[in-house]
Amino acid sequence: MAQVRILARTNRDEFFGRDVEVRQIVRQASHLTDARGLILMAAPGAGASELLRQSYDQLFARRGDPVPIYFAFRRSGATASEIARGFFQSFLRQYIAYRRVDPSLADAPLSLAELRELALPGDYEIVNGMIDLFEGATASEADLVNFCFSLPRRFAAQGRRTFPLINCTGVLPFSDEGARAHELFIALRATQSSFVFAALRRQVADLTHNAEEDRDPPTALHLEPLSDYEARRALEGLARRYQIQTNEPTRDLIVQQLGSSPFFITQFMQAARDAQVSLTSFLNCQRLYVDELLGGRLHRQFEQLLRALTEDPQTKKMLLRVMYEAAVSDTRKSSLWAWKKRLGLATNEFERIIDVLHACELVNSSGAFIEVNAESDVWMDYLRTQHQLEVTGESRAKVVAESLLETLKRAPRAMARKYRREAALGLRQLLQQFNCQSVPASLFHYERFSESYRGERLDLINEGLDAEGDLIRLPQIIYVAPGAAYSATIHGDAERCMVGHGFEAAEYTEENEVVWLVAELESKLEASRELAEDWCDRLAQLGREAKLHHPRIWLIAPEGFSDKASELLNERGALGSSRQQIELLSARLNENRTVESATADEFEMVIPMSDDTELIAARTVEEIARRVNFKPEAINQIKTALVEACINAAEHSLSPDRKIYQRFVVEDDKLVVTVASRGLQPARVAPQNGENGSGEPSAKSRRGWGLKLIRTLMDEVEFQRVDDGTQLRMTKYLR
Amino acid sequence: MAETRDINVQARHIGEAAIIYASDYLNKLSGERIERECKRQLESGFRTLIINFRDTELVNSIGVSILVGVIDAAEQNTAQLIFADVNDHTVNLFEMLGLTRHVQIAKDESEALSWIRPQETSTASRTLTADTRR
Repeated sequence: MAQVRILARTNRDEFFGRDVEVRQIVRQASHLTDARGLILMAAPGAGASELLRQSYDQLFARRGDPVPIYFAFRRSGATASEIARGFFQSFLRQYIAYRRVDPSLADAPLSLAELRELALPGDYEIVNGMIDLFEGATASEADLVNFCFSLPRRFAAQGRRTFPLINCTGVLPFSDEGARAHELFIALRATQSSFVFAALRRQVADLTHNAEEDRDPPTALHLEPLSDYEARRALEGLARRYQIQTNEPTRDLIVQQLGSSPFFITQFMQAARDAQVSLTSFLNCQRLYVDELLGGRLHRQFEQLLRALTEDPQTKKMLLRVMYEAAVSDTRKSSLWAWKKRLGLATNEFERIIDVLHACELVNSSGAFIEVNAESDVWMDYLRTQHQLEVTGESRAKVVAESLLETLKRAPRAMARKYRREAALGLRQLLQQFNCQSVPASLFHYERFSESYRGERLDLINEGLDAEGDLIRLPQIIYVAPGAAYSATIHGDAERCMVGHGFEAAEYTEENEVVWLVAELESKLEASRELAEDWCDRLAQLGREAKLHHPRIWLIAPEGFSDKASELLNERGALGSSRQQIELLSARLNENRTVESATADEFEMVIPMSDDTELIAARTVEEIARRVNFKPEAINQIKTALVEACINAAEHSLSPDRKIYQRFVVEDDKLVVTVASRGLQPARVAPQNGENGSGEPSAKSRRGWGLKLIRTLMDEVEFQRVDDGTQLRMTKYLR
Repeated sequence: MAETRDINVQARHIGEAAIIYASDYLNKLSGERIERECKRQLESGFRTLIINFRDTELVNSIGVSILVGVIDAAEQNTAQLIFADVNDHTVNLFEMLGLTRHVQIAKDESEALSWIRPQETSTASRTLTADTRR
């Protein structure tokens, strides 16, 4: 039976990606002997509120000891008395609801008189006693707050255990709510019961300091944004519930654009429901996104925050200006002093604003410097549009139009980033798996590997590697970060250049300290000396700039390295591997990759992108073409064109599903073959590799002949526009 | 599917010529195997390489690109390279991609053998079959 929703906003079966966290919170409630707090350190928009609500519902349904109590601090400017009264009433109401097994009471607006009446006979004494004390505790605001926040302790003293789930993610630095949240945390630490205290991760320290330092420290639980996969599932669940049409590309786009934030995704899907928009094209998605950004839920989220920062329109305008100009500058980093001077604010006020922006992760402030956090597309888009509207005074129509154009242009780039990230080798995981293991040295020396194993069967390669005596002992890598975080000389996808800090032989001494600088190169052929040299130089510069000790350069190129490039790597003492070597290394470090299987149909078929599957497609089209009496030569041409189209799709698309979708349509005088794949859209304007200026392929250029062949072999070839990926339509006429 | 096909490259020697047999589908993997076998034959001193395509039904551009590497290797070793028994469709592809400017194409193995340069045919003919598995 499905769990009844009480406080949760999402059905349990549609709440994705947080099973581990819910289990940990529920388990925390059961700690009888080791009653410690659990601090939930949440990234902004990671869904901490819903996690606590879901946990509440689960605890309510479980019917055991203790009684769950959920309370959220709001960003509403409430007084200390109002907060304390709210806590008192929530506490008693939820206690009674639980005891009466009546979920409808948990969130009902009940008066104190009603609470007295609804208390079960067994609870009557304690409930009435607390209400009497509450009504008497009006001597001062401080007394009232102390009394209300002591409810968990007072109930525990009478053998009635509660499990408070306190949500402080809406609390801002320097606010009254923050001070009250801190007081409540201290009160909870004074009880002998478990509790959960959720706050923005950058604010946790401020809200939990000076609390019973001599007791066992609370357990920490980090709540990061959802993975792309879980965010997509959450979006699918919302689409089902709100009956909004979506498709795979648009779901991926929304997730990418909203940074996998469950908060933004929920807001966006609610907007789609209200507007009754189907999200089946990028255009529809971006129209809604721009509407939301300029006046909908997304807009309101940032607007409320800025209003909480300052009521003064001039200060807000200057703040937008300073932030936007910093965001579009080369480094995005400025001195705090420069910001303060430009904003012209008193020190206290300036510090408060910066602290709030920092806590909400809209800027990163580190004492002397400040930078705008440009990782969030939504925040950057909001900042840009508000700057245009409020600072430069551009017309709303122009801002809408430009935003729509820009987001549509950006969509394929955002998807490309995602595909590149997913197609990357996973250097971070690979480095972290080193763990002092010994592996054949030839896996790090392409020329040796190529000489021994190029073109060899996999089982024989593995046999050869097993028999190798020359082993390399890998270091223990203890921290990995993108190269771009160290040096401005590293551009491109963050996942393709990594810096791994560690120790040789896991001995933690200065002499054993080592830093691996790893880059994944893009090259369809064996990487040239020039390319290898460029990356060696860049990584060496990164090492110098960051003052890294004992750097070791390791380059990875899909097809390995030319002889001259290998010579260079040897001269530089650098390592070099091909993708095949990495796959073999990964297997040895216990990492496996899987490829999804394909399904097939009569005249529409889907094949997986893997070895030789294009032959299946070729044989299918051969049979179809034979049935409609194409001549043998034409059949061969169609087969070859189809094979090339499949190879193109597999090689260039970085397809997320690794599938090629094909349709064969026989018409009166022609056969139309459509080959589609999700992923990157190819550059179609520039001449392909292998084509010289005259359009003739050059035999010595070696690669990039596929499209040229297809155009020569088929009568009509056309790339068709699709939101995501490529669709190639090829026609052959019966003659 | 790839695993079920014959993964060995068959080769044999006639005089100073090494004859290498391509498989039914010339793609990256089978192309690399041919390339590997050709380089092995060149290292063994053979200066005439004949690649026989009698079994080859289909080729793709990656397989052809690897043949360009074989052409390069043959040129660097001043070796003669002949393609034999190539079907019409594949010959057309080789022409489209410019390979026929760099390699001789014989209609069959006998014709290829008859094209061997005179100075390299002095040794008496001997025939053997080599399984090139390591």
